[in-house]
Amino acid sequence: MTVLFGIFLLTLLLITAVAIVRARNLFVAVMLMGIASLLIAASFLLLDAADVALTEAAVGAGVSTVLFLSALSITSERERASSSRPLISLAVVTAAALIVIYSTFDKPRFGDPEAPVHSHVSPWYIEKTEEYMEIPNMVTAVLGSFRGYDTLGEVFVVLVAGIGVLFLLSGGPGFDSGKSPPPWAKAGLRHYLIPRVAGRLLIPFILLLGLYIQFHGEYGPGGGFQAGAIIAAAVILYALLEGEQNALKVLPRPVLIGLMAGGAILYGAVGVLGILMGGNFLDYSVLAADSVKGQQRGILLIEAGVGMTVTGVLLSIFHSFAARRR
Amino acid sequence: MAEQRAEFMYYAVTLATLVTMGLAVVRAILGPTLYDRVLAMNMFGTKTVLLLAVVAFLFGRPDFLDLVLTYALINFIGVFAVLEFFRIRAARRQDSGEAGR
Repeated sequence: MTVLFGIFLLTLLLITAVAIVRARNLFVAVMLMGIASLLIAASFLLLDAADVALTEAAVGAGVSTVLFLSALSITSERERASSSRPLISLAVVTAAALIVIYSTFDKPRFGDPEAPVHSHVSPWYIEKTEEYMEIPNMVTAVLGSFRGYDTLGEVFVVLVAGIGVLFLLSGGPGFDSGKSPPPWAKAGLRHYLIPRVAGRLLIPFILLLGLYIQFHGEYGPGGGFQAGAIIAAAVILYALLEGEQNALKVLPRPVLIGLMAGGAILYGAVGVLGILMGGNFLDYSVLAADSVKGQQRGILLIEAGVGMTVTGVLLSIFHSFAARRR
Repeated sequence: MAEQRAEFMYYAVTLATLVTMGLAVVRAILGPTLYDRVLAMNMFGTKTVLLLAVVAFLFGRPDFLDLVLTYALINFIGVFAVLEFFRIRAARRQDSGEAGR
């Protein structure tokens, strides 16, 4: 039955994806992208992947629609007629699709316990998480400790992507450095009663949820990536209600840049601390007298670093979109 | 017996929610106005919250409710962004209209 639900959701996803491609009005495309994100999160949950679903929820619901709309407000709403030849693109896409479909024939069956992914290191992770870290959420153990190098790489990818977007958006003729913001950038939605009351009421709870996801990642779905997106969503909500300029007063640009870089540096510093205390890079066992405590402490610290970087990057991107006048 | 009945109810609710989600997608694609689509997206978000909550109980994993909580708390930010988008667009049009004169 669950498989049927999954197939239904994926069919809806396919229909939505085709509709996004076909939509000529970009605003409609953004709305459909929101639906696609919700569908993906629901599919992830049906596959029992709560951490990934939570990431999709935090980014898709809180941040990506806002960023798409910010981009849309400095460009035209209608897609320009394409000048490329559709037949060539169609041929390339069809060929790529056929290759992908052909490669799925060799894939193991869905949920096959003999699949390669279940027979290499995964049993070892499942067995050792309890022994090394004594935390129930194996995803956090794998992400933070067993594969700490990969996550360090991901944090730096997020940081570099953020720097790239800031480079693209800051400067040029349409950039307003904030000296003379137009009056509408200061106002926000606070003159409208329902958004003001409902939004103000919810901001503290969203922040609380973000902190809970951040520090509860070892026990339930969640961690730094999701928490960073949720906290960024709370600040974006404040910006929508009070005006972007007022949000910038609460968290000025230098603070955001500091969060971006500081999170990645914190992560790296935990690794170097491991070396200094006699272990390997990103080996948390040496961080405390008891190796289990050391592992838990290390995961907590690097998750904090991840959360800081993600919050800083998302908010910087949001503000640099808002600072553009065209 | 009671458990079986509860599971049957979970399945029934999931099915009903999925049908509603399908109808919301139809409305989002057919439109015809932008506001239909905004409403469809908002409703789809609400239905996703319901679906995920029911599925969490169906799987016997109530800790998945964290995810539902996240959606319930931040899903409406998208709708606020839509409101702000329309407000800013109107203000910008007014600005450029004055500059053109």
